[in-house]
Amino acid sequence: MAEEPESALQLPPSTAADGEGPTEVSPETATPEPPSSAAVSPGTEEPAGDTKKKIDVLLKAVGDTPIMKTKKWAVERTRTIQGLIDFIKKFLKLVASEQLFIYVNQSFAPSPDQEVGTLYECFGSDGKLVLHYCKSQAWG
Amino acid sequence: MENFEGTLTSLLFLKHTGETLDKHSCLEPLNGLAPRYTPSLFQDCSEGYMCKTYFQIKPGTVVSHLGTSAHVQTCLPTEEALELPLDDFEVTETTTGSEVIKYEYHVLYSCSYQVPVLYFRASFLDGRPLALKDIWEGIHECYKTQMLQEPWDTITQQEHPILGQPFFVLHPCKTNEFMTPVLKNSQKINRSINYITSWLSVVGPVVGLNLPLSYARTASQDE
Repeated sequence: MAEEPESALQLPPSTAADGEGPTEVSPETATPEPPSSAAVSPGTEEPAGDTKKKIDVLLKAVGDTPIMKTKKWAVERTRTIQGLIDFIKKFLKLVASEQLFIYVNQSFAPSPDQEVGTLYECFGSDGKLVLHYCKSQAWG
Repeated sequence: MENFEGTLTSLLFLKHTGETLDKHSCLEPLNGLAPRYTPSLFQDCSEGYMCKTYFQIKPGTVVSHLGTSAHVQTCLPTEEALELPLDDFEVTETTTGSEVIKYEYHVLYSCSYQVPVLYFRASFLDGRPLALKDIWEGIHECYKTQMLQEPWDTITQQEHPILGQPFFVLHPCKTNEFMTPVLKNSQKINRSINYITSWLSVVGPVVGLNLPLSYARTASQDE
């Protein structure tokens, strides 16, 4: 699961966002570095000229957590871990009582208020941030 | 309990807490370190548990000097524990009207669950303890809804097994469940993970204990 080829299951946004569609995180199109973000998602207010306002985040499932068809997402730097957790839960249609954890280094869960930009600075490599996610009935 | 997945032996508990303490005594805080925490997060208590104290200004109040002066307080040996000396408090000046809360976190080993357990308590500077209701108010919104579905399975008040004083406990009954995938994954990729660091990064934020990101660097290591 964690080690499968990254791009294999990557789908264009139209297929991926078949749910009600995430509002703030925009799936990255299959094309590598197009005139990307600009008007893709409602959440983008950054000037398009700025090279890397968004961060490429690769989301990988751990254990028996369902995988996401779209693995690579362009995420705002200021998005928090909690924001990302909410997004994944919605995307995977998890029930509210299920807890989802996000790990860096496959072992450390950053606090919910931690921002993706900070994590990228500390743990990003090859221009992207790899995060693992795992669901559990941790409490209650 | 027939399934030992996701658990920890008491020996490993000591080893991993030891590593967590050692490795971070010298680590510099990284960017993004929450300022209210001191760099050396935990202090060894040689009683078989580790503990951490910090002071927080209750949201909405103003304070002049704090933050950096919050310090890790040593754990008192059992026999002195009942008389917590007030002059131990290093909070320098606080603006009148602001409420400072002292949080204490203890990590202990549970023999019955074979996992680490997070004990904590909170009090105002005059010694008044926070009640369970106040604790719930301080729980991060993102956990609250889920936890409040079964409040008595998440946080309850219990006697601290070593100090014999009332503490709140974050229940360990699901710990092995959320640790299992992480441990299995680490075996798969041939990395050893520090159980304590990894576990604490998950449960700490629930009750306001956010580990600095520098801990992530030692949470796992290539074998």
